[in-house]
Amino acid sequence: MNIPVGAFIAVSSILFFIGVAGVLMRRNAVVILMCVELMLNAANLALVAFSRRAGSPDERGSVFVVFIFVIAAAEVAVGLAIVLSSYRNRPTVDVDEVQAMKG
Amino acid sequence: MSYDFIETILFALLTLGIVGGALGVVFLNRITGSALLMAFTFLCNAGMFVLLGAETIAAFQVLIYVGAITVLVLYGVMFTPQQDRPYGLFFQKQTPWAALFVAPIGLFVALFAFSFRDGSHASAKGGDLVPLATSVFRDYAFPFEVASVLLLAAMIGAIVLVKRDDE
Repeated sequence: MNIPVGAFIAVSSILFFIGVAGVLMRRNAVVILMCVELMLNAANLALVAFSRRAGSPDERGSVFVVFIFVIAAAEVAVGLAIVLSSYRNRPTVDVDEVQAMKG
Repeated sequence: MSYDFIETILFALLTLGIVGGALGVVFLNRITGSALLMAFTFLCNAGMFVLLGAETIAAFQVLIYVGAITVLVLYGVMFTPQQDRPYGLFFQKQTPWAALFVAPIGLFVALFAFSFRDGSHASAKGGDLVPLATSVFRDYAFPFEVASVLLLAAMIGAIVLVKRDDE
């Protein structure tokens, strides 16, 4: 294995900030959910990279990756349910126009 | 003869796939294309896990992300009609402010990530299935059960949220 851990961390940070940019920039709620998934995936990559580096005693990082899988599945299911029920009340998925809870 | 260069080439290809796919998710106008490129990014990430020697995590990644989550997102795309829109209506109104706010944090994290020198290299010491299963079912058995309760709660919540109550 000749690829240093830092290279994986760099890829992970790039992926994370592309996800941040998507969440902050796009209007479409479904695309925002996709970008949240990208950010979770970047965190997974960083966790596995740190967990698999030489000398780490066990697989703790990978265990947290398994839990992040569970969280991601729950998050996308509930998020899509909220988007769909909001779409049923107002026919738009633009987060700029959904203002039902605006004070 | 050493085959180490193959790993470097694979790493470069997977990095290209991840960065290109993620940029496509953010900047593509057609939302179906965004969803499929998201699946492609997940697949490249699974390749990264294989490169790191975590084959079990890679299998979970393909099963859960490329399988389940992508199908769920594609259903979401299907149920909400999408129209191609002009590029001016593409981004939110607060985009410049958001960029101004995030750029310093991004620079900081990028500086840290690119200057990360460990000395030791990523190791591939056999499979990761046995240590992973030992950790999950012995040291982290209680969080594992809590995670299953969380999944149950999310499932019930999703059903309640999309149920029609008009009878």
